[in-house]
Amino acid sequence: MTSLAPQSVGWRRPLGYLGLAVVLLGGLAWLLPEGIGAFPQEWDVGLGPAVNEIQQWWISNRRDLGVYLYFFDPLSGSIDWLLRALENLLMAIPWYVHVVGVGMVFGRWLGRAGGLAAGAGMVYFVALGLWEQSVQTFALMTVGVALAVAIGVPVGILAARSDRVHRGLRPVLDSMQTLPAFVYLIPVLLFFGVARVPSLIATVIYALPPVIRLTNLGIRQVPTESLEAGLMFGSTSGQLLRKVQLPQAVPSILAGVNQTIMMALSIVVIAAMIGAGGLGQEVLLALRHQEVGRAVEAGMAIVLMAVMLDRFSHSLVGQGRMGGGHHGEGLPYRNWWIAGGVLAAVAIAGWTLGWTDYPTALQFSYAAPIDGAVDWARDNLYQLGNLPVGTGPFSDFLTTYGTRPMRLYLSEEAWPVVVLFFGFVAWWASGKKLVLGSVVGTVVIGLLGMWTLTMDTLSQTVVAVLMAIVIGLPLGVAASRRDWLERGMRPVLDTLQTIPSFCFLVPVVILFNVGRIPGIIASVLYAIPPVIRLTNLGIRSVDKEIVEASESFGVTRRQKLWKIQLPLAMPTVLAGINQTVMLVLAMVVIAGLVGGAGLGLEAVKGLARSDTGLGFEAGASIVILAMILDRITQGWAARFQPPSSEGD
Amino acid sequence: MSKRSTFKASLLLAALSLVLAACGDDLGDVETIKLAVNPWDGSAVNIAVAAAVLEGEGYTVERVEIDENAQWAAIAAGDLHASLEVWPSGHADNVASYIDGGGGVVNGGELGAVGKIGWWIPTYVVEQNPAAGSWQGLQDPATAQVYATAETGDKGQFLIGDPSWVSYEQDIIDNLGLHLEVAYAGSEEALLAAMDSATSRGDPLLFYWWTPHSAFSKFDLTAFELPPYSDECYASGAVDCDYPDDVLFKIMWDGLEEGAPTAFAILSNFSYTNEDQIFMLGQLDAGLSVDEAAAAWMDANESVWQAWIPG
Repeated sequence: MTSLAPQSVGWRRPLGYLGLAVVLLGGLAWLLPEGIGAFPQEWDVGLGPAVNEIQQWWISNRRDLGVYLYFFDPLSGSIDWLLRALENLLMAIPWYVHVVGVGMVFGRWLGRAGGLAAGAGMVYFVALGLWEQSVQTFALMTVGVALAVAIGVPVGILAARSDRVHRGLRPVLDSMQTLPAFVYLIPVLLFFGVARVPSLIATVIYALPPVIRLTNLGIRQVPTESLEAGLMFGSTSGQLLRKVQLPQAVPSILAGVNQTIMMALSIVVIAAMIGAGGLGQEVLLALRHQEVGRAVEAGMAIVLMAVMLDRFSHSLVGQGRMGGGHHGEGLPYRNWWIAGGVLAAVAIAGWTLGWTDYPTALQFSYAAPIDGAVDWARDNLYQLGNLPVGTGPFSDFLTTYGTRPMRLYLSEEAWPVVVLFFGFVAWWASGKKLVLGSVVGTVVIGLLGMWTLTMDTLSQTVVAVLMAIVIGLPLGVAASRRDWLERGMRPVLDTLQTIPSFCFLVPVVILFNVGRIPGIIASVLYAIPPVIRLTNLGIRSVDKEIVEASESFGVTRRQKLWKIQLPLAMPTVLAGINQTVMLVLAMVVIAGLVGGAGLGLEAVKGLARSDTGLGFEAGASIVILAMILDRITQGWAARFQPPSSEGD
Repeated sequence: MSKRSTFKASLLLAALSLVLAACGDDLGDVETIKLAVNPWDGSAVNIAVAAAVLEGEGYTVERVEIDENAQWAAIAAGDLHASLEVWPSGHADNVASYIDGGGGVVNGGELGAVGKIGWWIPTYVVEQNPAAGSWQGLQDPATAQVYATAETGDKGQFLIGDPSWVSYEQDIIDNLGLHLEVAYAGSEEALLAAMDSATSRGDPLLFYWWTPHSAFSKFDLTAFELPPYSDECYASGAVDCDYPDDVLFKIMWDGLEEGAPTAFAILSNFSYTNEDQIFMLGQLDAGLSVDEAAAAWMDANESVWQAWIPG
C-alpha cells in the first residue's frame, strides 16, 4: 500500500471529542425551536410514484417494444433453454455416477479423505430425497456463476486499467451488494419473464461484485517489476495483459469466484420466490407448513453445496483447507481416461444391475428431532417457571429498554441534530472527506420520505451489532486461547453464515415473539461469525515477542489481554465489526418478515404490493445507510492501524 | 412413482399429446400450459386438479411456484398462462393495472370457493374473558390490555401478517375507538409461528386470519365479534365493520383463448365449492400428496370436472 499511513491516534482524544460533540449537539437540540422533529414528510421528492409510472408504462407497452421483442425476450429464451438442457443432462446421469464422479474429482484435488467426504456429501442430497431439487439449484448456480465470471472478469480488467472506471464502479458494486433482492424481483420479472431466467438474473446481480473487485485488485497488485520487464521486451499492452497481468492475477480472480459462489448460494431461497424452484423452494414449502426440521434439511443441503464448492474452489487457488490434501496424492489413477473408465464402469454396472432410484430403506431424515427440539425450546425456554428469565422476558426487556426508547428518541429528535451527529461521527472516523457524504446521504434518506423508518432500522442495527460484539468478542478471545475451541467453532460459524436465514424465521418468532427482537436475533446469528473469527485472528497474530516481553514484566492475564493483545488486535477486530455491520444490514429484509418493521417491512411491501417505487425508496435508504456505516467503521479500523504494519 | 416411470409417463404423455394435436383437435398452438402455484395449499390443490384435467385433454402442464403478486407480470407476458385463486381484496392495484389497464391479463371468472377475512382469537381467550372477544369489550382500555405486548406498551396488539393483505384494521380501530395498535408480523409464516407460540402457553392473541385455511385444523380459533358487514359501511369511506366475503376469481393470460382454446374453456369453466377444496386440504393433512388429494377428489366428483370440458 502506498497510501498515506493513517495516523495512529490513541483512545482518549477522540472519545473526548465525542463527548464534546454530544454536549454541543445537545445544546443545539435545546436551542432549536419547538416542533422540529422528524424530517418533514412534505419534502418527500416522490421518487416512488415516478418509478411506478415507468413500470406501468413498461407493462402496457413492452409487447410493442423492439428492445423487448428482439433483446430481452430472445435473451431470456436462450438462457432458459441452456438451463433446462443442463438440468436435463444432470438428471439423466444416475445419482450413483454423480456420487462416484464427484468423489473422484475431489479425491484428485483434496486427497482420499476429501474424496470420501465429497462422495458422502453427494449421498446426503439423495438420501434426504432432495436430489432433483439439488440438481436444479446446482444448475442455476453453475450458469449463474459462469455468467458472473463472463461479465465480471472483463469489467474487473477495465476497472484495473482505468482509475475513473474504478472510482465510478465502487458505489455501483456497493449498491448491488446491499440493495435487498426483494426490491428488484418484480422489475427483473418484467424484463426476463418467469421461473429460471429472472432467478438467474437476480443471482448474477447479487453475486457479481466480488469477482469484479478481486479481478481489479489482482491486476493492480501485479508488481511493477514484472510489468517493466514485460515492457522492456517490447510487449504491447494487450500482450502485457494476457501474458503478465492476468496469469499473475489468477489466484485473486479465483478468490473472487469463490466469494461469488458463496453469494450466489445465499440468494437461493429468495430466488425461489420468483420460481427458481430447487432447494430454495423446498425451504419455502417447509416454512409454509411450519416444518422447521424439513426447512433445516434443505437448508443444510445448501450449506453442504456451499462447503463443497468452497473447498473445491479453494483447492484450485492452491490453499486446500481440508488438511493433508496435495495434488497427486489422491486416488490411484493417473489420468482422466482412467477416471472416465471408472465412471463408465459404474454406469454400466448400475445399468445392468437395474439400479434406478436410491433405495428407500437407506433414506433418512432428521426433521423430527429438530421439530421436537423447537417444541421443547418453546415449552421450556420461553420462560423458566414464573421467573422473569427466558427468551420471552428477554425479548420484552430488550424491547422496553433497548429498541423502543432508541427508536422513539431517534425518530422524534430534531432531524438536523441527527444529520449533524452523523456528520460528526463521520469526521471522527475518517476526516473531512466523509462528512459531506454522510450529511448528504442522511438528507437524501429524508427526501426519499424514509426518515422515520430509517431511524427504526438504525436503532435495530445498533442493538444487533452491540449484541454481536458483546457475545462475539469474548468468544473470539476464548477461541484465540484454545486451539480445540477454534477448530470446533469453525464449522459452526461456516454453517451460520451459509444456512438460509429463512430456516430461523419460525423458531425466532416462537421464542422471541413477533416484533423487532426476533429479527435482531436472526441478524446476530447471521452476522456474528466475522467478529468471532477476526477477534481470534487478530489476537493470534499479535507479535509473539511483544507478548513474551510483557510476560517477563509479570503482567496478569487480564492486563495482557486489555493492555496488549486487544489494542494491538484492534484493526483486525474492527474489520470484523465492519463486516458484521454490513451483514446485519443485509438481514434487514428478513427482519421485516418477522415483525421488524422499519425499512425491511417497507421493502417487503414493495414486493408484496407490486409497489416497486416504494421498494426502491426503502432499498435506496438501506444502501445509503449501509454505505455510511461501512465507511465509518472502515475509517475507525484505519485509525487503529499501527504505523508499523504499513510499508513492507 | 419412481423417477424413471414418471419420465416414461411424461414421454408417453408428450407423444400422446402430439398424436392428439395431429388429430386436429383444437388444442391450439400453445400445447404447454403453464400454471401459477401460489404459496398456499388451496392454490396447490386447485392447480393439481386443473393440471389433471388439462393433461387428460392432451396438454402438457408446467407448474411454476410463484409469489401471488409476482405472478401478475408473468401472466401478462404470457410466461404463465393462468392462476386460479386470486383474493380480490388483496389485488385491487393489480386488477387496475393488469386487467382494467389492458396490461395483458383477463379475468377468468369466479373460482366458486368463497373466502372470508376476519379477526380471530384462540377460543380459550373468550372462555376466560368474554369481554375480550368483542369490539365493545375492547373500547375499555383495561380489557384491551389483555393483548398488550412489550412492543405496543399500554395498548393491545392487533397482529396482521403479510403487508400485501388487504387491511382496514386502522380504520376499524379508529372508528370503533378500540385501544389497539396494529403490528405487522411481516409474513404468514411469522403469524403462524406467533399463533403456535401463544397457544402453547395459553397467551391471548388477536390477529387477522381467513377461511378456508388449514390452520383451523391445528388451532382452536373463534371469530372476534365486529359489527356485521354492510355495503353502506364500506361505501361511507369510514369502515367500522367486519370484512365482506371474498369471492375468489381466476386470472388468465389474454393470449390464451387464441393460443389454446380448449384449455381456456376448461380453465374458465373450472369451478367448485369451499367444501370441495376443504376436502382436499383434509387429504393433505392426512399425509397425501397434492396430486393424490386431487385424484381422490376427482374420483368422487367426476361429474363436476367432466362438465368443465367443452363438448
